[in-house]
Amino acid sequence: MQFIYLVVIILFCLGLYTILMNTNLIKIIIGINIMDSSLVLLLVALSYKPAGTAPIIDKPYSVIVDPIPQALALTAIVIGASITALMLLLTIKLHRNYNTLDISEIRRLRG
Amino acid sequence: MDRVIWLIILPLLTAFSLGLLKLYFKRYFNYIIIISSTVHIILAFVVANQAIKEPIVYNLGNWSPLLGITLVIDSFSALFLLAIVTLAYLVTIYAIKFIKRDKLKYHTLSLLLLTGAIGIVITGDLFNLYVFFEIVSISSYALAAINKDKESFEGAFKYLILGSISGILILLAIILIYQSTGTLNLAQAAVKFKEVPRNLKVTILTFYLIGFASKFALVPLHSYLADVYSKASVTFTALSSGIVLKTSLYALIRIVYILFGVEFIIDSGLQDILIYWGTLTFIAAHLLAYQQNSLRRLLGYSSIAHMGYIIMAFALANKGGIIAGSYHLTNHIVMKGALFLATGIFIYNLKDDQISKLKGIGKTLPYSSLIFTIAALAIIGLPPFNGFVSKWLIIKQVLEANYSIPAFLILIGSLLSLIYYLRVIKELYSKANDDKSLVKEPLILKLPALTLGLFCLLLSLLPSFAPKLLETLPEFLIKQNNYINLLLRR
Repeated sequence: MQFIYLVVIILFCLGLYTILMNTNLIKIIIGINIMDSSLVLLLVALSYKPAGTAPIIDKPYSVIVDPIPQALALTAIVIGASITALMLLLTIKLHRNYNTLDISEIRRLRG
Repeated sequence: MDRVIWLIILPLLTAFSLGLLKLYFKRYFNYIIIISSTVHIILAFVVANQAIKEPIVYNLGNWSPLLGITLVIDSFSALFLLAIVTLAYLVTIYAIKFIKRDKLKYHTLSLLLLTGAIGIVITGDLFNLYVFFEIVSISSYALAAINKDKESFEGAFKYLILGSISGILILLAIILIYQSTGTLNLAQAAVKFKEVPRNLKVTILTFYLIGFASKFALVPLHSYLADVYSKASVTFTALSSGIVLKTSLYALIRIVYILFGVEFIIDSGLQDILIYWGTLTFIAAHLLAYQQNSLRRLLGYSSIAHMGYIIMAFALANKGGIIAGSYHLTNHIVMKGALFLATGIFIYNLKDDQISKLKGIGKTLPYSSLIFTIAALAIIGLPPFNGFVSKWLIIKQVLEANYSIPAFLILIGSLLSLIYYLRVIKELYSKANDDKSLVKEPLILKLPALTLGLFCLLLSLLPSFAPKLLETLPEFLIKQNNYINLLLRR
């Protein structure tokens, strides 16, 4: 059980590292996605119980999985997907206008 | 009591039905927006009026507050609600004339932004707050890029990266709260949060603080804001500085006061951190604003500076601090709204907002220049305008809490803002190279700006008009048990 938290921490830091260390727009977007996925993994890991089932009322069950984190995970995935779509759209527009994906060359705004 | 949920449903419904309605009733497009916004503002006033007398708790779908989502309106939320809805109404009217390209997209997105902002202000559920927060964020990223030029794409991309990282941090904080308390209801989480170990509390607080502070642009995290503002349309900048920044601040204040409690703010040193962080913010932002040539960037930096003042007032964690902070916040929404809308009229005529090109505008565009001057004097903090009263209250409260150096620096900050605003006013009223083409001040643009300018004068009388509103503001913030009992019906 502790192992999963280690994976989450590694993924989170990896995503942050990708964002900070790359100048390519696409790689930055990938970094944000990795950070997002690590949180989804954390949510799923929170609710996991060995041999647990979904809490549906008419079935007999003894061990249930907490459904709230899974609902949150779904929402987090949807929000992450829509933000990724928006970022990719802006990347296309930026590439059309500046002819580069390097963020250090896209600097018209200063001060 | 179902009125409360209509505050969220009405703009959401209008936003998504606008596209369909435009297909069939193209000619009445503007009227549909105006009617919907008018109904919404009346509704907001009715609800807020009720909430100030007696706080409203509404359980969605009649689920018990432990299972479902709860909406809570106390007078602190009611004040935000009124300020947000009024600003959004005036900006919407302004936008009908001002926005020429992509009208449908603009109005859909701004209605979504309003939906999210109202959601943040009235929700009593942590995850619900996160969802509304992301609705506000996503619609404001899209609005920032709606002008479709090089610079606005660049600004919007910066905004998007910073915004999504801040969103991830906030989500992480919410997950940690759920893990340690087992609930997402703000009141119930607050009850169980008292047993959470101190280290975890500090960790959660740090995630929240960095997440929200990068959204409302405290100084090391501010860099995106001016870039977003420099080419975005003024209607968006008015909404952003009036609504997006302020609702993020609201979310932080609400969570810190209710979940962590006043004692924790003082014990953990958060008070000192926020006071000095606020001081750093306004000094740096005023110095940066001083160097700007673009009026929109200047106003953006001024917004950052005022967020610094407001966070200082709230960090004091006492009755006077909360009253001063909320009062200054309402005033700032009005003043910045008036400044941006007046700037919009300049841009409508000049197609540019370089300060050097504003020479002699005072003669050709008398009304908008007058509005700009009034709002600028108010935001500097000169009597008899509203900014003076609220800034005075903040200085008084900061001094009473024995932070004499920050209080002194507020005065220095006002002096700096006096210098750069006077530079603009001087350009406005200096002698012109006569250009008769600048005579367009359409009534529909002038009227919202004039209304906000008038509010700058009227709001200075707020303490004598609505003492009850200001007195009841801290009631559900300062004593977290009041809020918990209200939400859980104990």
